[in-house]
Amino acid sequence: MILSVCGKGGVGKTTVSAVAAQALSARDGVRALIVDADPAGGLGMALGLTPRKTLNDVRKEIIEEVKAGGRDEKDLAVSLDYLLAEALTEKGNLAFLSIGRPEDVGCYCKVNVILKDAIEGLAGRFDATVIDAEAGIEQVNRKVMSPVDYVLLVSDTSAKAVRVAETIKGVADSMIGGEDAGLLVNRAREGREAEKIRMGTSLEVLGWIPEDDTIRRFDGEEISFLELPECPAREAITAALEKTGLL
Amino acid sequence: MALFDEQLGEVRRILADWREGAGAREFSAGERAPWPEGQSLVLEEDTALELGNPSVASLSLLLWSEGGDVEDGRITLVGPDVPEAKERNVPFAQVVIAGGSFASEYDSYRDARDAVYDTRLHGFSVRTMPSRQSIWCRVARVAREEGFSLVDLGAAFIEALKSLDEVSAAQVVFVTASVEDVKKLSGAAAGAQRIVDAMMKMYQEENFDCETCEYQEVCDTVMDLKMIRKKLTEGKVP
Repeated sequence: MILSVCGKGGVGKTTVSAVAAQALSARDGVRALIVDADPAGGLGMALGLTPRKTLNDVRKEIIEEVKAGGRDEKDLAVSLDYLLAEALTEKGNLAFLSIGRPEDVGCYCKVNVILKDAIEGLAGRFDATVIDAEAGIEQVNRKVMSPVDYVLLVSDTSAKAVRVAETIKGVADSMIGGEDAGLLVNRAREGREAEKIRMGTSLEVLGWIPEDDTIRRFDGEEISFLELPECPAREAITAALEKTGLL
Repeated sequence: MALFDEQLGEVRRILADWREGAGAREFSAGERAPWPEGQSLVLEEDTALELGNPSVASLSLLLWSEGGDVEDGRITLVGPDVPEAKERNVPFAQVVIAGGSFASEYDSYRDARDAVYDTRLHGFSVRTMPSRQSIWCRVARVAREEGFSLVDLGAAFIEALKSLDEVSAAQVVFVTASVEDVKKLSGAAAGAQRIVDAMMKMYQEENFDCETCEYQEVCDTVMDLKMIRKKLTEGKVP
């Protein structure tokens, strides 16, 4: 099961992804890959995990391998597998991979194809994968999310955030096709706010997350969400994740 | 000089030293039932033993010989085997030597390499980085409890290699004794990689301008590389 958490910037995707990681970390016998696909890199911070190497570092090393010559696709594929393993930060049953921030230019399409294939291969070895996507539609548009089984759309109660979620769903349907998707409304003051959104959107609304002082404290004090105790927000997110089939 | 003669000579000298110093144990590929195959993801928390973690020394070599001097079916272990390892993380070297007839060097190399790369065993994960000659393996707790041994891995390599038409014999050497022992093989590993890189470049890029090639000094010392070049240029220029 590969679940991608998508939505407009600032709506709480990283919090939802972090709670998903926390919920998976508590499951016996489940091995989960957690991918921070947002170059801003907030998920690692939320989980208290600092990657030694990012996917962008891996990409640069693979480009160097290609430039050096003398490597066929098989050599590059096994090299990529090795470098990806180096880039995984493990904690218990979780393996965390951060995309990092590309700062160079250039097109290496062949490498990017291998990279995408390898990420698909990596996710295939885990029982569950959660991807905290970059804000907006870029990664969906570029089919980075093509292996995803479920698109978990997150919005706050603003009409703008709900429209962005609808746009992402539309792009996912046309570019990738076939995934299930649902909307999780964050920072709702009460169920009526979520109900109002449900009436005004074609998206399936999975639930709503209340404002929660525990979440605020964990964010403010940089405490790892892997330590998050039971709280209303965690309960709401977990309930929504159960509907997606991730849990 | 044949393709890997120099590296084979070096490995055999080092192996003779280990054998003489009673640091090597010998096993036969057929002495244990084959270990089940399987694609394994072994996370750190499930790991009983890590071999060649990037933070310690590791080396992987694949050589071949057409001289009939390969000790067929022999698995040599220098250092503790999986059940005996006291540390959780040990240095690791793996030397795989194939014997046979390798008329088409490029295809033969890729066949042998793929046979090694594609050997996947239950409860054992392996990753290799050809340009660094590095190898990084994890043995799952469950595999160690079930009695997994490096002899099982060696036997799987030998079986995979001998399924190839061009391979008639194969032997494997594993080193887990110490970083120093692993590093003894670094010269042979680097030399073999330079030869493979030169060969791959010739076949892939079809650039035969020795004046501009970074592998000129390799070809100057390895006769078989010159012969490969001659074959390719004759095929290329009518």
